Amino acid sequence: MVRKAYGEIAKAEKCGCGCSCDPSVSENAGYNPEELGSVPEGADLNLGCGNPVALATLKEGETVVDFGSGAGLDCFLAAKKVGEKGRVIGVDMTPEMLDKARENCRRSGYKNVEFRLGEIENLPVADNTADVVISNCVINLSPNKQRVFNEAFRVLKPGGRMIISDMVLLNELPEALKENVQAYIGCVSGAEMKTEYRRLIENAGFQRVEVIKEAHLPLELVLSDATAKAMAKKLKTSDYSARQLANSVASVTISAIKPKK
Amino acid sequence: MEILACPIDKYHPLELHVFEEKDEITEGLIVCPKCLRWYPIRDEIPEMLPDELRKEAEDLPFLKKWREKIPEKIVFEGKPFSLKR
Repeated sequence: MVRKAYGEIAKAEKCGCGCSCDPSVSENAGYNPEELGSVPEGADLNLGCGNPVALATLKEGETVVDFGSGAGLDCFLAAKKVGEKGRVIGVDMTPEMLDKARENCRRSGYKNVEFRLGEIENLPVADNTADVVISNCVINLSPNKQRVFNEAFRVLKPGGRMIISDMVLLNELPEALKENVQAYIGCVSGAEMKTEYRRLIENAGFQRVEVIKEAHLPLELVLSDATAKAMAKKLKTSDYSARQLANSVASVTISAIKPKK
Repeated sequence: MEILACPIDKYHPLELHVFEEKDEITEGLIVCPKCLRWYPIRDEIPEMLPDELRKEAEDLPFLKKWREKIPEKIVFEGKPFSLKR
């Protein structure tokens, strides 16, 4: 279901993940306009909550795997950082998104980026090969997050790092909201409780799990968001549930290390 | 190719068969020699999906189209779909 909805977004050039279509959303998410200017037009569909921290740590020559690469924005930014000796592999399960990413890649002439159609729960990447796993507001959409973190752990080299941004819950969401599929696509009702999210990462074997950034959704964004509006209408409580939602959801950036043994 | 693994059994390295090439491989096949799963490369994109996301109606015609260039074992015994002998 997630796959289908994101396919629609890619085709229509609409935006997703609860963000509005305003181009400034990607800037709010922490990307600087200069960085955004360096990627092919169309690579940024405003679907993510922003993972500039991960990008900032990348070094020349590193191998990066992007879980849920979408139209490729983070991959292109990462490709610039790791340079010709490095490489970036984007994995996404939505064919329409990959079509877009490939098109963007062709236009921009990046040689060190490749895209694969695949599932982050069944990653087509060999063991111990990546220096860094990045992901931007994707893992919350997975019905099996433990498996995703296990896969991240598996593909990382010993000593490798995972730096991901995602939406987490600070309070449990009302049932009515969880059931709303649209909200799922909007990055919200698939989200896990923050404490549980962290536990899943540790379960996979990661160490030094740290929340390096945490931001609450700005209420204005939630109130203007189509998903929240639809939800509020469904719950017949107008702005109240949107307010409740804003208090319950946070965007976090988490780093973790695969021990060297 | 050197870091590509079978999404199901994580086997690596995988076999690559190239059918059409421009700057990149535009059409080809990736095969896991361990479990005999095959994955198409279409439009330059390696499609490495698990079985439940594969579409027989799209994948079998691909196998038919290139059957002359695909090892017989994969054509008839490949997973998740194969042709009848």
